[in-house]
Amino acid sequence: MVADEPTFARLMVAAQDGDKAATNVLLSEVGVWLERYFKRRVPPHSIDDLVQDVLIAFYTKRATWDPSRAFLPWLAAIARYRWVDHLRKVYKHDAKELFEDDAVEDSEEEVVLARVSLDRLFGQLPDKQAEAIQLVKIGGLSIREAAEKTGQSESLVKVNIHRGLKKLAAMVEKAD
Amino acid sequence: MKNDIPSSTRMDRDALIAALTEDLTPVKRVKPANGAILIGFATIVAAIVSIAIFEFWTGMVSGEASGFFWITNGLLMVLGAASTSALVASALPRVGTRANAPFWSAAMLAVMPVAALLTMFSIEATHDHSVSAFADPALLYFECALYGTGAGLLVATAAVMFLRQGAPVSIERASWLTGLAAGSLGSLAYGITCPLDTISHVGIVHVLPVAVSAVAARFVVPPLIRW
Repeated sequence: MVADEPTFARLMVAAQDGDKAATNVLLSEVGVWLERYFKRRVPPHSIDDLVQDVLIAFYTKRATWDPSRAFLPWLAAIARYRWVDHLRKVYKHDAKELFEDDAVEDSEEEVVLARVSLDRLFGQLPDKQAEAIQLVKIGGLSIREAAEKTGQSESLVKVNIHRGLKKLAAMVEKAD
Repeated sequence: MKNDIPSSTRMDRDALIAALTEDLTPVKRVKPANGAILIGFATIVAAIVSIAIFEFWTGMVSGEASGFFWITNGLLMVLGAASTSALVASALPRVGTRANAPFWSAAMLAVMPVAALLTMFSIEATHDHSVSAFADPALLYFECALYGTGAGLLVATAAVMFLRQGAPVSIERASWLTGLAAGSLGSLAYGITCPLDTISHVGIVHVLPVAVSAVAARFVVPPLIRW
């Protein structure tokens, strides 16, 4: 059972005032809420890293919550910000590898984007970019295999993945 | 829900929570009003420094100032207020609709350079070169744009200081707003010392700092406010 909005708000007021017991309960409950939040967004093995990352951000930025406003939208905004930041790191890592190394390895970070609930976002990408990302990042094909399958050159597959991932990160950031 | 988590992960998180709780201290809440006061104060300091260096233009109070002077500075003030208001609100994390008043205000201000250019080309089209707007010596005083942008640096510093206290979740938007606020309020602060009040001068030279600051802030501010 996850705490409700009034309970979160009451605990948060106490946390801002320096109440350690309330803060301990609050952080635990926020952790549970964040697990649910990220469950639909990232692969299971990445959830706890993100939850801990957001818990630290939540703690560091606790002074920015205004008690006259709802707590959960504030928490959701922080969670989304850290999630986008995570996507950007994955994107940078991914883009660097695409252009420096032909071998595609499935590191833990690389598959994050592939497993994020992308169906809705894919619909907004050009077909060739979505296809390249799906084949290489989700299907696990190499650049060469994807090139053969799609009839695109290897360079074009790389460019389509690069541009597609960049667009995805931007779309996630802009979506409210 | 907690039972779904592997025990090692649970221990890591419990240890993190224990450590964070141990270091807990009361915090002073970040309030948008304080950010607005800080930016307002920076604007006043910028105006005082401008007056100390360039002297106050008495034409403002003697009735000498043209309508263009008042319209341009009025629009700069509106843009400054709208962008400051949106900027300080953006320091607190939130989801949902965002005010786009600053961008409409910037569009209204953009009417000034367009009007100035249209006026200049219209006069030129009459072939009466004795009144050529391109020959307006005031148009050549582009130093005013530099001074206005410089005054805006004080405003930008205050804005960045406040954003760093907060937690902006839309870094790009907060950066644009910083540039708009700095450019408009900086140009306004310097503008009260400038005796050149033709449409070609105030409409172009005094509006230029807004565009320059906005674009510069878009690239310079993000690393300063990312958290």
